[in-house]
Amino acid sequence: MAAHLLQRLLGTVGVLFSMSILIFAVVHIVPGNVAYAILGEYATPASVAVLEAKLGLNDPLPLQYWRWFDGMLHGDLGASLVMSRPAGPLIMEALGHSAILAGLSFVLVAASGIALGIYTATHQGRFSDKIATLAQFVFIAIPDFFWAILAVLLFASWLHLLPATGYAPLADAGVLNWAAHLVLPVLVLSCGFVAHVSRLTRSSMIEVLQSRFVLAARAKGFSNRRVLWRHALPNALLPAITILAVDFGLLIGGIVVIETVFAYPGLGRLLVFAIEHHDLPLLQAGMMVVTATYALANLLADLCYAVLNPRIRVGSAAA
Amino acid sequence: MIAVATNATMLIATPRRLPTVLLFGVAVLSVIVVVAVIGIWLTPYDPTAFAVRSRLLPPSTAHPFGTDEFGRDVLSRVLAGGHLSLAIGFGAMLISLLIGVPLGLLAAFHRGVTEAAIMRTVDLLISLPPVLLGLLILAVTPPSLGKTIIAVGLAYIPILARLSRAVGLGLLREDFVQAAFARGEGALVILWHEILPNAWPPIIVECGLRVTFAILLGSALSFLGLGPQPPSSEWGLMIAESREFLTQAPWVGLAPGLCLSVLLVSVNLVGEGLREWLDPQLTEHSHG
Amino acid sequence: MDEIQTTMHDALSGLHRPLLEIAGLSVAYPTSRGWLRALDDVSLSIPAGAVLGLVGESGSGKSSVVMALLGLLGSSARVRAAHMAFDGQDLLTRAPSLRGRRIGVVFQDTSAVLNPALTVGSQVAEPLLVHRRLRRSEAWSRATELLAEMGIARPAQVMHCYPHQLSGGMKQRVGIATALASEPDLLLLDEPTTALDVTVEAQILDLLDGLRVRHGLSMLLVSHNLAIVDRLCDRVAVLYAGRVTETGAAASVFSRPRHPYTKGLLAALPRPHLAHPGRLSPIAGRLPDLVATDPGCNFRPRCAFAGTGCEQPQALLGHDHQARCHRVGEIARMPWPAEVSHGSPVPFRKRSVVRSEHPEAPLVQATGLSRAFTTGGLLQGLFGKGGRGVLAVDDVSLAIRPGEIVGLVGESGCGKSTLGRLLLRLVPPDAGRLRFDGTDIAARPGLDFRRRAQIVFQNPDTSLNPRQTVGAILRRPLRRFGIARGGAEALEIGRLLELVRLPPGFADRYPHQLSGGEKQRVGIARALATRPDFLVCDETVSALDVSVQAVVLNLLRDLRDELGVAYLFISHDIGVIAHIADRVAVMYQGSLVEEGGVRDVLHPPYHPYTEALLCSVPIIGKRRGPTDELRSTKEADGSATVSGCKFSGRCPRKQGPICDTAPPPWQEVDRGHRIRCHIPLATLNDVPPWLPARLPADAAHG
Repeated sequence: MAAHLLQRLLGTVGVLFSMSILIFAVVHIVPGNVAYAILGEYATPASVAVLEAKLGLNDPLPLQYWRWFDGMLHGDLGASLVMSRPAGPLIMEALGHSAILAGLSFVLVAASGIALGIYTATHQGRFSDKIATLAQFVFIAIPDFFWAILAVLLFASWLHLLPATGYAPLADAGVLNWAAHLVLPVLVLSCGFVAHVSRLTRSSMIEVLQSRFVLAARAKGFSNRRVLWRHALPNALLPAITILAVDFGLLIGGIVVIETVFAYPGLGRLLVFAIEHHDLPLLQAGMMVVTATYALANLLADLCYAVLNPRIRVGSAAA
Repeated sequence: MIAVATNATMLIATPRRLPTVLLFGVAVLSVIVVVAVIGIWLTPYDPTAFAVRSRLLPPSTAHPFGTDEFGRDVLSRVLAGGHLSLAIGFGAMLISLLIGVPLGLLAAFHRGVTEAAIMRTVDLLISLPPVLLGLLILAVTPPSLGKTIIAVGLAYIPILARLSRAVGLGLLREDFVQAAFARGEGALVILWHEILPNAWPPIIVECGLRVTFAILLGSALSFLGLGPQPPSSEWGLMIAESREFLTQAPWVGLAPGLCLSVLLVSVNLVGEGLREWLDPQLTEHSHG
Repeated sequence: MDEIQTTMHDALSGLHRPLLEIAGLSVAYPTSRGWLRALDDVSLSIPAGAVLGLVGESGSGKSSVVMALLGLLGSSARVRAAHMAFDGQDLLTRAPSLRGRRIGVVFQDTSAVLNPALTVGSQVAEPLLVHRRLRRSEAWSRATELLAEMGIARPAQVMHCYPHQLSGGMKQRVGIATALASEPDLLLLDEPTTALDVTVEAQILDLLDGLRVRHGLSMLLVSHNLAIVDRLCDRVAVLYAGRVTETGAAASVFSRPRHPYTKGLLAALPRPHLAHPGRLSPIAGRLPDLVATDPGCNFRPRCAFAGTGCEQPQALLGHDHQARCHRVGEIARMPWPAEVSHGSPVPFRKRSVVRSEHPEAPLVQATGLSRAFTTGGLLQGLFGKGGRGVLAVDDVSLAIRPGEIVGLVGESGCGKSTLGRLLLRLVPPDAGRLRFDGTDIAARPGLDFRRRAQIVFQNPDTSLNPRQTVGAILRRPLRRFGIARGGAEALEIGRLLELVRLPPGFADRYPHQLSGGEKQRVGIARALATRPDFLVCDETVSALDVSVQAVVLNLLRDLRDELGVAYLFISHDIGVIAHIADRVAVMYQGSLVEEGGVRDVLHPPYHPYTEALLCSVPIIGKRRGPTDELRSTKEADGSATVSGCKFSGRCPRKQGPICDTAPPPWQEVDRGHRIRCHIPLATLNDVPPWLPARLPADAAHG
């Protein structure tokens, strides 16, 4: 198992490093971008030149990259051009807010998605399964931003039950208010993924239920409950981890849209803000943080997979 | 392992009866596609014409979907924008198919350095969720329809590459492919005669699913302002623009939203129908 | 002592009522064409303490019997029975409460049957927890005892292992232990040893025999292997296409078969113990359609004794030894007719003549071929098994003369398939040279070598491209090597089909429309399309039923006689090799241990591994003697080292430390016969032959 994990760790480091190069390259690929972005389209070449010199944009690209990368290693994520503040604290605060949203949604998606998947797999072919399948189709297909619009319309505008936008810090507003601001974003973010996860879990569970060792367990006269919980489920865990890892990535993508709709002050909204205002250093730094978060999540998933899979945990050492 | 003898005739799953899901989905989808493609010519009003006096009118016989904040007929705008979603969906799918599948098969054939290079690049692209990859690419250049298609296609290349590599590796192990190697046949010949005819079912199924996700991703990017720019009536963009007046005039956002949903549901049905028809035993490992 | 008394008491009290009784069992599955009748009016009974063997080839429905008894057929299957009772209780309704508790089952593929996510211990102990209601600690220790009883060394350690860490033989022992944990009265065994090596199979059979004697366990053994049924069972029932065709005492059925199908099966079996095995007698034709069933005798189309009256429904005739054939009396003395050798139908001239002047000079000469197992990844090498260098093929040298059939025999994982592919340059060697017809062959050989050296694969289902017709499949080599073009192609395809005795109309069929034997023959035709001089047959008959296997073996022999092709015939089955090979090479863990003419290798002196292989092969009529235990292999005790003899860990005749430290030398027994062992030839010569020259069973089959 050690070899396996070391391999994964090295892979993650490699990916982070390559990603930083890619992000940097993409941002700087169009020359004159940053300066014009700040000064506007009608800036004079002279002022552009001055700004470029000041920001060190005339140096060779590898040097600029190294400056940025080195800075990141020391905790300096650059500075936001628009807000004239260090990017680091901005991003971290936004990350914290997004983490709450992502965390709550992920727990909801994992719990209900897997539970629903197992339920439909064990009731395969029955009416409840067909209804669930139909619902899954619909929920996967409808875009999350449309759900968001509908939810805001229904709960905020018409029913006045929940706030439509924003975020209330726990310290200031109290638990109820804090929670109220989170309900809609979490629900909307989760619904598509619950459908996706439950669909994938269903098919992997069906596969496990049709395997020979489940047949053998039934042949040994164990009750259906025992066969399901003790024999089938442990084998459905591993594919579930893979499914959840993929969906976590999609969740991160969904957060960008949801935060925009609900004006939730998270990292996604910050990135969109950076794009709208051509705040390229902020964009660079923000992308790096997102990549690192996703990479860490994947590493964690790999770790869980390695621990739960006897073949990796114990190795193939013969008895 | 010594296989137990099998003498009885084995029935292989050659294309069987078409499942109803597929037929239904194809029917609905065909209608939508036709309407979307010729939509431009079906508009009752000019989709870009401002008519400030009739702004934010609710649905009526004159304007079945109402009007937006500039007085533009929403129905006309919806009809004019349909082909954009389709273009993104199918265009991105084609890009990921035409680039991803050859790359994956190449990696399966030439194991070693080529494979490592291709798969590490794929891993790199996959390390950012698709929305963020799209954001990154579209953030640094003025967005347009073409660039959106390319960005979404790029985001899905890794998935098709991984799939075709897995399929390719599986097929390369089969005895009939080994027999072709034993005849000294070249890689391209083997690919054409032995691999591709057996590889297309899972690849086609995945492509069907990709269209759904490509349309979703494309409209999400447009919603964020990174797709076709105004005055385009791409549906995601229309929904974004409708947010300002959501409480006053919900129909401005609901109309394109509903149409987008219907399109996506029918595309999803076709994708699922294809999967059921071509190989129901395929595990659904669809990435978004 | 107490155990025996209890068993006898139970047996006596149940004497008047068979433990298991099935009457008129019919099972059908729905298909798009209609109901598929897997079982048709099957009746069996097993008295307490007896062992019944259920013999059948694929498609006979034997697995459906096991599933029906357990009530695991699935809701779509239609199960009807006049009477299906276990110890008086109706199985149709009470199976769920009886299975696992009083009826145990052992399946074939233990790799799939053991739960990969649970430890071995928890799986063996589970029936004790559930059915015997023991406490955890009691269940665990009882389970450990059970594993020890099954012959597993270090049972306490194995309890904590996961299934993927165990070998095939150990997994099957675990499977048997799990089945016996709840102390059932009846044990169902569905092909329990088919997936195992023959030496391991012999040990499992010994184990089962021992259980039968010690515990008085009743068993239903389902298998296609008549020899192991003969070994273990008192009574036997033969199943053909869902119907019982013959039933009786095992000794009686196998020495004096009454039904033509049983006669045919026995005639098709390879008989390696005979001095001159001769041609096998196959059963021509294919299985009948199970949807549109024949109301009369369903064996009729393939029966050598078919005549008038066979189209009528047949009943089981006889008293204790019954057969479903109305001609039983007339054909009682007649053996299944032997297959006549066909002459070559059309002149089939080979394209090139072997250049070598000397008939003795080898066509294929391999020297010092070695290849390591493929390892995974860079880091694996750093952390893992780097230093030991386990080789799949270890410094093997082999020569094959023109037109000669060399049999390569060994158990799974010994590297024989890899060696075959090395000889064809399908896999690059790590070391060694290959000469073909006098010229060295490079790592990427030219087209000429490819044309003259071909391969036939094991699995008929994966050796043909499912999307191509037979004609398209055969056209590929013709086009590649420019053997025939345009109109001549069709002619050539026709000739090839005729060569393998398939009708010309098959050219338009797809592989899924062919049976296993027919697919295998297409594979042979494809390999012969280039008119090669050398053919590697990689377990070509291993996946076929015995009756079909005979067809293909005879065909291969005839083709060699007609065309002068040399074969490397790879197989794990020494019986098959004895029938077809001129010379034999025995392989163990990557090295050759014995080589020589087929008669020489099958008679003493033997390499200890060859001896163990031969001892382990079950043959009808052969009874295990006390000395056989001694001669068979032990479980590996982990003492084998890289430097010494690889077999030393399992060798029953191990000499001492020299076997671990020094590589054994080649000793010449005779011209062309050599053995690689430390034991002096004089001692090896003293060993008695593994089989008497003739068995009582031989009398029945011509």
